[in-house]
Amino acid sequence: MVNHLQTTNNFSLQKIKTIPVSPRLLISAGLVALFVAIPLIYIFIRAAGAEVEAWQRLFQTRIWKLLGNTLLLTFSVTTGALIVGVSMAWFTERTDLPAKKIFRWMLAMPLAIPAYIGAIVHLALLRPRGGYVPQFLENIFGREIFTPSPFGFWGATFILTFFMYPYVYLLSAAAFRSLHASLEEAARTLGRNPLQTLFQVTLPALRPGLTAGALLVALDILAEYGTVALLRYETFSSAIFIQLSGRYDRSSASVLSGILVGLAILFLWSELRLQGQARFTQVESNWRPASLFNLGKWKPLAFVIVFGVVSASLLLPAIVLLTWSIQALLDPETLSKIFYTGSQGFSSYVWNSVWSSGVAALIAVILSIPVGLLAVRYPNRLSQIISRICQVGYAIPGVVIALSLVLLVNRFLPFLYGTPLIVVMAYVLRHMPQAVRSSESALKQLSPTLEEASRTLGRTSIQTVFQVTLPLILPGLLAGGSLVFLTSLKELPATLLLRPAGFDTLAVRVWAWAADGFYIQAAPAAFVLIFVSALPLYFLLRREQIFR
Amino acid sequence: MTTLQIKNLSKKFHGSEFSAVNNISFELQNDEILAVVGPSGCGKTTTLRLIAGLERPDSGSILLNGETVASQSVFIPPEKRGIGMVFQDHALFPHLTVFDNVAFGLRGKTKTEIRSIVGEMLHMVGLLSFSKRYPHELSGGERQRVALARALAPKPVLVLMDEPFSSLDADLRTEVREHVRRILKTIQATVVFVTHDQEEALYMGDRLAVLQKGHLEQIGTPEEIFHESTTRFVAEFIGDSDFLKGKVVKDGIQTEIGLIKQLVDLPLTTQVEIALRPDDIDFQIDGSGNSLIIERFFRGAFNLYRLRLDSGQILHAFTEHTRILPVGARVQAHVNTDHSLNIFSA
Repeated sequence: MVNHLQTTNNFSLQKIKTIPVSPRLLISAGLVALFVAIPLIYIFIRAAGAEVEAWQRLFQTRIWKLLGNTLLLTFSVTTGALIVGVSMAWFTERTDLPAKKIFRWMLAMPLAIPAYIGAIVHLALLRPRGGYVPQFLENIFGREIFTPSPFGFWGATFILTFFMYPYVYLLSAAAFRSLHASLEEAARTLGRNPLQTLFQVTLPALRPGLTAGALLVALDILAEYGTVALLRYETFSSAIFIQLSGRYDRSSASVLSGILVGLAILFLWSELRLQGQARFTQVESNWRPASLFNLGKWKPLAFVIVFGVVSASLLLPAIVLLTWSIQALLDPETLSKIFYTGSQGFSSYVWNSVWSSGVAALIAVILSIPVGLLAVRYPNRLSQIISRICQVGYAIPGVVIALSLVLLVNRFLPFLYGTPLIVVMAYVLRHMPQAVRSSESALKQLSPTLEEASRTLGRTSIQTVFQVTLPLILPGLLAGGSLVFLTSLKELPATLLLRPAGFDTLAVRVWAWAADGFYIQAAPAAFVLIFVSALPLYFLLRREQIFR
Repeated sequence: MTTLQIKNLSKKFHGSEFSAVNNISFELQNDEILAVVGPSGCGKTTTLRLIAGLERPDSGSILLNGETVASQSVFIPPEKRGIGMVFQDHALFPHLTVFDNVAFGLRGKTKTEIRSIVGEMLHMVGLLSFSKRYPHELSGGERQRVALARALAPKPVLVLMDEPFSSLDADLRTEVREHVRRILKTIQATVVFVTHDQEEALYMGDRLAVLQKGHLEQIGTPEEIFHESTTRFVAEFIGDSDFLKGKVVKDGIQTEIGLIKQLVDLPLTTQVEIALRPDDIDFQIDGSGNSLIIERFFRGAFNLYRLRLDSGQILHAFTEHTRILPVGARVQAHVNTDHSLNIFSA
């Protein structure tokens, strides 16, 4: 996600290196790819190996409905996120909207809020019968007033859009900024008015960024469990989760997982095709910003629109959670429940969240280094394949990773089962692509002549990696690590399915309490979770031009 | 003493139709600067990278001080070759200070030794007071000199320079290259210097090697290359020659602009081409002359005229900068030179 934004010199397409690839590098990268590929392949094996009955049963009854539901939601949320994300980016980057700097931050920050926490808040606000808004209206008017329901397709579309658009926002805002002013000026001199220029020149030029953002949203929706479960909208992910946790029907779950992953890979592949045809990044030294669009009398309206988006996605959740948290802290009974549920205390949830995500981030970054080095410094068919394999984690939803690991670990590494390490492993597998992309983009910006200079000055290839390459790409590695940490903190379904008894993370606690209706009790944990996620996000955003 | 020997070196890149380096052989003596020159894509940088050990040759061998560093059976990695290299983009380590950059290649030495060597190197390039700075705090010319100091610090047997001045502004380039040549000559370095700029090559090289499409066209002193070009390409690339058709006759060569008196070792009536550089041609206004002025380029120190002979053949001629003649004037062009011309059979 954020690492898509980096647009600088690209050294990877220089002359193909023929200095022999060190076999150590090739083997380590290959092993990483194998580690990532096994859970994926295993799902397909299990799906193919499921009894014909399971397939038949599913095909006769549920698959078409699930497929329809899943595709419909993916399409609607992706469309919604594109519309919201691009228009917000246009407002903050290309118009004279007031308070742009603050809005930029506020529009990006919902990335730190897991969608299911957003859903909890909106549910509490809008739930028919008992929601704050319907209740408030009823108290005023003395009768039930119709309010839109947060449940079902439209509710899910609305809520997910507001927590997914930041992906598109960040990518398109960066693209808007990197766009050369002369491009639009050229269109104007060739007889296009500003609106025509926007649609005929600007937006097409943004397409690579938009496609990447849309893909991220689509894959996230395929993988989304918490929100759709809360809003009672059944998709593949939530169906698999139920098969696994409730009915314990692994063979149906495998079939569903196989189809879901197939779908995700199809998305990934079509994005690759689209991107392959069009990569118009253009960075020139004489960059200057395009002139801002004068909103004029529309300024108040624009302000209200942007403020509305910020409210729904950031301010409302923050205010509600803060209020609940204060309520929880003031109520001794709730307070004691928060701090002593079973034998575990609040600090242990925080600690579990932080260490499992932190270890996952560390492992993912370390594993990404040989893959990145191989792919960037020795670009050929094989290294591309290895790099692609390491990025399929994007396409494997948490529930599927969980299923695959349950099956694999039970069979081959039984001692891992029931330890938190299996949770860490799931995080690494699922979020590896972010680390790989960060490492690759950091390496692409590093001129290979630096490494060659080190070699001619007497360093071996290994010494060069440690003394020159790693120190120089460290910021990129940290960014990748932060991203893995951030997304692992928010991860819900795999954690729920894989955690050993008693291993509670913040995400798990928030979910468990909220699912039981104890919103107030869940609020402090949700608040801490968002706060801990916001720190790496802040670091990541600070790296971007538009947030400096 | 011979420092570098290249024997039948060839290199083809995967997926490329042509060899980047095709059967090149040459030798380099101690203390000598060899300028390798040619148009882009001629294989000069690949040759340099092969010598450095950054590429592996397909065939042929490279010997440094008589020792094989690359052949079919041997490949010594770059870090073990004892070669210093100055990169086109300088490749200074951005995370290290000027001092640490220069000290990077000095290993297995005591702190005091390192300090004295780095000090000596920085003094030599005139940057002693910059040792605590980082590369981004330096100008282009300063970076260039740090890169040179870094490459020279480990006292390499051979220094390789890959278009080291190409990232500098034109006026700075002349100044820096004089400075660099002086330093290289002072420490008696053995250097292979790659450039696409013929003027730079003529200035820097004790000898020149002209490459084209992976072939070594000619190797020799700047004067040899200029006056005794062995191939048409060399004559064309070095000194921008025009080629005038002619026929071998008894006293020389008969051409459209008259008889050129030069004995050639070819049978009579052989068709030849004569390489003519702008300084070989002179002309006077003459209403019944053999050519027409079609363009004049004012180059500051001189005028460059473009002439068209009646056959359509184009020739270029230098004249002093005060001699300004109108475009369209008819002139009589003739060869005016005190050296022999390069002749190629057509």
